[in-house]
Amino acid sequence: MRTYLYVFFFFLLSTFGLAQNIKEPVDFSQNTHIYGVKQIEQIKNWGINSPTSGVVSGNVMEMQGGSINPSMSGKPLEGIESLRGLGELFTLLQNKVFAPIFLAIIILVPLAFLTHLMIFKSKRFSHGISYKVFSTYNIAIHWLSAVPFVVICITGLIMVFGDKLGGGTFVRLARDLHGISTIAFAIFGPLMFLMWVKASLPKIYDLKWLLMLGGYLTKGRTISTPIPSGQFNAGMKMWFWTCTVGGFIMIFTGAILYFQLSSINALRLSAIIHNCLGFAIIALLITHIYMSVFAIEGALNAMVDGTMGEEELAILHSYYYKELQEGGKLEKMRVGKPHHH
Amino acid sequence: MSEAQFSSGGPTFQSQARIKFYCDEDRCIDCHGCDVACKEAHHLPVGINRRRVITLNDGIQGKEKSLSIACMHCSDAPCAKVCPVDCFYIRADGIVLHDKKTCIGCGYCLYACPFGAPQFPKSDVFGSRGAMDKCTFCAGGPEETHSEEEFKLYGQNRIAEGKVPVCAAMCSTKALLAGSGEEVSAIIRHRAITRGSGTPKIPYTWSKAYGE
Repeated sequence: MRTYLYVFFFFLLSTFGLAQNIKEPVDFSQNTHIYGVKQIEQIKNWGINSPTSGVVSGNVMEMQGGSINPSMSGKPLEGIESLRGLGELFTLLQNKVFAPIFLAIIILVPLAFLTHLMIFKSKRFSHGISYKVFSTYNIAIHWLSAVPFVVICITGLIMVFGDKLGGGTFVRLARDLHGISTIAFAIFGPLMFLMWVKASLPKIYDLKWLLMLGGYLTKGRTISTPIPSGQFNAGMKMWFWTCTVGGFIMIFTGAILYFQLSSINALRLSAIIHNCLGFAIIALLITHIYMSVFAIEGALNAMVDGTMGEEELAILHSYYYKELQEGGKLEKMRVGKPHHH
Repeated sequence: MSEAQFSSGGPTFQSQARIKFYCDEDRCIDCHGCDVACKEAHHLPVGINRRRVITLNDGIQGKEKSLSIACMHCSDAPCAKVCPVDCFYIRADGIVLHDKKTCIGCGYCLYACPFGAPQFPKSDVFGSRGAMDKCTFCAGGPEETHSEEEFKLYGQNRIAEGKVPVCAAMCSTKALLAGSGEEVSAIIRHRAITRGSGTPKIPYTWSKAYGE
């Protein structure tokens, strides 16, 4: 009787064996969100010298690879996954570098402009005849992007200096606002990009503008020589590309960080990019506000009612002025009453 | 408390007091007892695993190894270095803890951690991350010891009761050790001698966390 039982089990097992052989190659695809896999991901690429994770290297076995998914265990890592030391690099940068650079930017940039204002004074142009240079649509899209953008920058800085502000509810609120405002910027930012991308393409004369720093190092209350510039000068163009394309990169890296969408090494890289691009954006935002509000008297009107005085247009945007004149468009843009303050 | 007090010279009171975790990969049998015990003891919600048993080289014959990892309570904790709101504090005995009421859930500690220890519950209506959660070495948190608030936010405080962390306490093969650095080292040495492997190799997790 027992012999029969053994024979039966033998056949049963061989059937399983055969079934295995007939089957397709074993399917290792799996739910990566279940306990385990995703968390093993997180122990990779920490140290500058560790090819894989702190745990794999040395502790268990030396591996050339470091993939830990069952389907590719031990295979070499590729792409961003293979970048060594991003954990250690991120730790170093976030510990020592990021916050001091942000602090330097928000102190030194306004200080530099304050000095500029004291030496070179706010520039004044006569406001005899003015022209409507920006449409209502331009102005609306500008502010619909600008308001969330400024909120994002301020809340971002609140998070950078969260320890000085005590953390907790206030900084957590800033984090939530940072995310919510991003939704608004993600809608209006692309519209602003489409609206001004053509006018912001680089031209040869932008180099001349950069070499003379747009005439902003001219002493006295006014500038008399025409400055080489189109509708936007080289400085404005730089700001345009930083806040739109740079802004979109910020949205992308920020979304990855917010939703923790990728593997740990990509998260680290995203955090590094997000902070470094943040330096440029904060510095140029301060510049943009200084130029529009303080550097030239009444320049803000261009973004309030869309008008610009003839002298300001002819001097600061000389190529654009000439182009409008030659195209016969200038007269149509003329605003009836001279603009008063 | 300075580093030298923990690492130099013979056994001193301070060096004995510095706590450490150690997982012996030759003993871990992938039973998941430690992480289940941890989840149960601290009433952790779904999706939060303060301790995980991971299997490396899965499916590679003869090289498969299991290992239990959690926060190693590093002596030079990278999480505490990168926290933008400075919510971490390191106790005199080396236990790395954080204040959940200060934490903003940014996730930076996770990017800095070599062990993937920080966990983030999806807490609010927007599905955004709540305050970070991690292994406390069963030492509670900044709230009043054994208070309801402490249990709710950080789980049990077994250290205050003079007990070892629950994961190590229940480990059936005693692969997972938790205790003072001196005691844990002595056990590792004893095991190495008994196995006949001579001087014990220093695991990477150990050197990464405690710098030795």
